[in-house]
Amino acid sequence: MSDIRLENLTKRFGSFTAIENMNLHIRDGEFLALLGPSGCGKSTTMNIIAGMEKPTEGKVHFGDREVSRVPMGKRGVGFVFQNYAIFTHMTVRQNLEYGLRMNGLPAEERKRKANEMASFMELTSMLEKPTAGLSVNILQRIAIGRSAVLEPAIFLLDEPLSNVDAAFRSVMRYELKQLQRRFKQTMVYVTHDQLEAMTMADRIAVMDQGVLQQIGTPLEVYNNPANVFVANFIGAPGMNLLEGSLVSEGDRLFVNFAELQQKIELPESLATATQAVKSRDVVFGFRPEEVELDTQPGGLTLPATFLERIGARTILHLGKDVCEVKAVFENDVEVMLDSQVAFRPAMGSERLFEAASGKRIS
Amino acid sequence: MQRSVIFELIRYCLVLIALFFAMIPVFWMISMAFKPIAEWTASGADLTWWPKAPTLDNFRFIFGQNTNALIVELERTAGRAILASLLSSVIGTLIAMVVGTSAAYGLSRYNYGKNLPLALIQLRLFPPLAVMIPVMIMWTFLNLVDTWWGLSLIYGIVTLPFSFWLMKTYFDEMPKEIEEAALVEGCSRFRVFTRITLPMMAGPLASSALLVFILNWSDYLIALMLTTREWVTIPVYMASLSSSMTGQLYGAKAALGLIAAIPPVIFGIAIQKHLVRGLTFGALKQ
Repeated sequence: MSDIRLENLTKRFGSFTAIENMNLHIRDGEFLALLGPSGCGKSTTMNIIAGMEKPTEGKVHFGDREVSRVPMGKRGVGFVFQNYAIFTHMTVRQNLEYGLRMNGLPAEERKRKANEMASFMELTSMLEKPTAGLSVNILQRIAIGRSAVLEPAIFLLDEPLSNVDAAFRSVMRYELKQLQRRFKQTMVYVTHDQLEAMTMADRIAVMDQGVLQQIGTPLEVYNNPANVFVANFIGAPGMNLLEGSLVSEGDRLFVNFAELQQKIELPESLATATQAVKSRDVVFGFRPEEVELDTQPGGLTLPATFLERIGARTILHLGKDVCEVKAVFENDVEVMLDSQVAFRPAMGSERLFEAASGKRIS
Repeated sequence: MQRSVIFELIRYCLVLIALFFAMIPVFWMISMAFKPIAEWTASGADLTWWPKAPTLDNFRFIFGQNTNALIVELERTAGRAILASLLSSVIGTLIAMVVGTSAAYGLSRYNYGKNLPLALIQLRLFPPLAVMIPVMIMWTFLNLVDTWWGLSLIYGIVTLPFSFWLMKTYFDEMPKEIEEAALVEGCSRFRVFTRITLPMMAGPLASSALLVFILNWSDYLIALMLTTREWVTIPVYMASLSSSMTGQLYGAKAALGLIAAIPPVIFGIAIQKHLVRGLTFGALKQ
């Protein structure tokens, strides 16, 4: 068993808290992406799992084994670094065989395993070459191969695709997934790129400022963000968020946007959910992909300020500053700049958050 | 295209001119080493670029063989001085490199001893003469004067800051992920250092060692103060090559100078690959 459990994990560097009381259970054989902006603590979390850093408080368990005090060489994890960390004074083969040699495998076995991994990673033709002059794409392949050849039960990847070029990145996304299917390791993948997290991960753990914000499948995180941060961070562009306050008229509940001097009615399910919260200040959210343009009453109206046409999609910017709303359309949209555009979120796509805590109301 | 050919031509001409000026003294030394006494004591129009009657007399003289032309009797021969220089410079370089590299690695990787870098360099903050008098007294007290080990030790100490500072910058530049990658695969700290870090540092190590060796090899002041007879080094010995009858023995000095130039040149050629490659790590792209 090689599930990973982080218990009340806290890491401080002097007065700076990198991770705050984090609890996370990574299931055996799962591909988990640790996603967040730079400095959110995701790499520190990874380093603690690997044993490169010691937690200030809290425990790390691999299966039934508590490994908090086990040195990194004894944890049996594979680690791939953002900057490859290739031993440049060795050939490709020597790099691939390095860990096997450390584990005292006989030469023949090493050779067989290295050959096998080389063919899987498409490195066979350059096995005997020195690594010094190879391209970054190849170096990252070697680095992944070097860790994978040990068949670690836990495989940690720290932004492995950040430095390689875009075309290669999409190839590697596919291959990493293949690699995991084949060896069935527990994979933890640190990234700030939500596309990587969305496409590869079974579950995504979103972090910000040292705090775990949400954990869930890619679709859960996308459709039902736990709070304002996740709503805004996931998706490109992120969720539209408008600050407003709840007002009721008869038995109908509205969100009133004071700055826009407009209001929008809440669907019944959300209206019921609001009964559990005290504060009337809320954030109203909806995905840019789920905006419908219509002229019927009941929606919002904002001026069109900017149009971004990016081939298959067009992003329409409405309003500005705190009242900015983005709407994404396939191909083109027939809207005149500076004209008033009436729109409303698609039925059931509305999300509501508490203004003070940022938590979703559901 | 036309323009770049002209540019290249000018560039090569400038390099040749610079080389010409740099090489004249060297050429003069080589030429003089093979001149008989009559030619290196000549003046004015008698002075020639090439030896008119090339001879090995100067070499024979410094190694103690009697020559017809040089009637001066040598107290000591050059063989002993060459041995002294080789021994003290090589061991001094070893001491400086081993201690400097270890200290640099430790300081670069662990967060301790923040004041050590400055402490190490303070020996160099004073004029050498001010430092050397106390050292001379200490060395006398410790019975280290005029011994090869005493000289090696002080060479190791005074060149330590160079090896330390050079290696420190190289270690700081080496990404720690490379070592962590090996550690994670079950390598011990010591093994990482000897099998991963040091081999990757071959270039920096070699070029630092060359610099330290040249510093030791060409030292005059320290050897002058800490040696008297037995372990006089080449530079000090060279200065003593004069006589009341003929004055400075330039031919003999040139011959010894030529011999003294050989070890650094050989060392330099041996590590040329590293000197050119320098620090072109391919392991990391930030």
